[in-house]
Amino acid sequence: MARVKRGVTKHARHKKVVDRAKGARGRQKNTFRAAKQRVDKNLQYAYRDRRRKKRIFRGLWIQRINAASREHGMTYSQFVNGIKKAGIEIDRKVLADLAVREPLTFKALAEQAQAALL
Amino acid sequence: MKTYSMKPAEVEKKWFLVDADGLVLGRMASIIANILRGKHKPSYTPHVDCGDNVIVINAEKVALTGKKKSDKVYFRHTGYPGGIKSETPEEIFAGKNPGKVVQKAVQRMVPSGSLGRTQLSNLKVYAGAEHPHDAQKPQELNIASMNNKNKRSS
Repeated sequence: MARVKRGVTKHARHKKVVDRAKGARGRQKNTFRAAKQRVDKNLQYAYRDRRRKKRIFRGLWIQRINAASREHGMTYSQFVNGIKKAGIEIDRKVLADLAVREPLTFKALAEQAQAALL
Repeated sequence: MKTYSMKPAEVEKKWFLVDADGLVLGRMASIIANILRGKHKPSYTPHVDCGDNVIVINAEKVALTGKKKSDKVYFRHTGYPGGIKSETPEEIFAGKNPGKVVQKAVQRMVPSGSLGRTQLSNLKVYAGAEHPHDAQKPQELNIASMNNKNKRSS
């Protein structure tokens, strides 16, 4: 039986890690030892930030709704209060999208919110 | 559905003209900073320079409340030992660049990163009533009418 040398599998195993560390700084993109630490940490960041992403986007939608409702003479909190009283149950994601892509629809919503506040 | 993200090529940059005569410095600066950052647009995108351009004229006539004209101090350090320099607004208004008070106030309200620096370059401050941006057809922005505390007489 042919003799099996271990260098081949070892190299393949290391390459998998080093390839994932592409774009890292300094030694971290070339050497296995440093690259492994970098990859492990990056996976931790990725796990954490997949959860954070949801909060960050909600924040962005709120900023956009605020800008759009200020164009119609209301602050964000007044707009959301009004829209709730008017019984409109559109979430912030869709509201922000309407504000960008369909300003006229958003205007109609703003008028309803304004009317519900009186 | 994917959240809208503005691309740099899609940005439409308008020009606004602010007459700083008698306006309260910080109140004016915060409004200008928001416009420079684009936070007044429903399509605001945090990583793109999506704000508008702002021209400020009469920057030397801006109002400071209380005793700030003589008591507020701007510090900077040259890097050498004992190299701390200071200036009051009074001295700046009397010096060769009176628009610095407005420039500094807005600069400190814009995030200090590379995007913030780009956005700050969209601010043009002029001490006098003249400005060379007539070709851009700037739109007048009446900050005084937004809130009655924005303008001080005297």
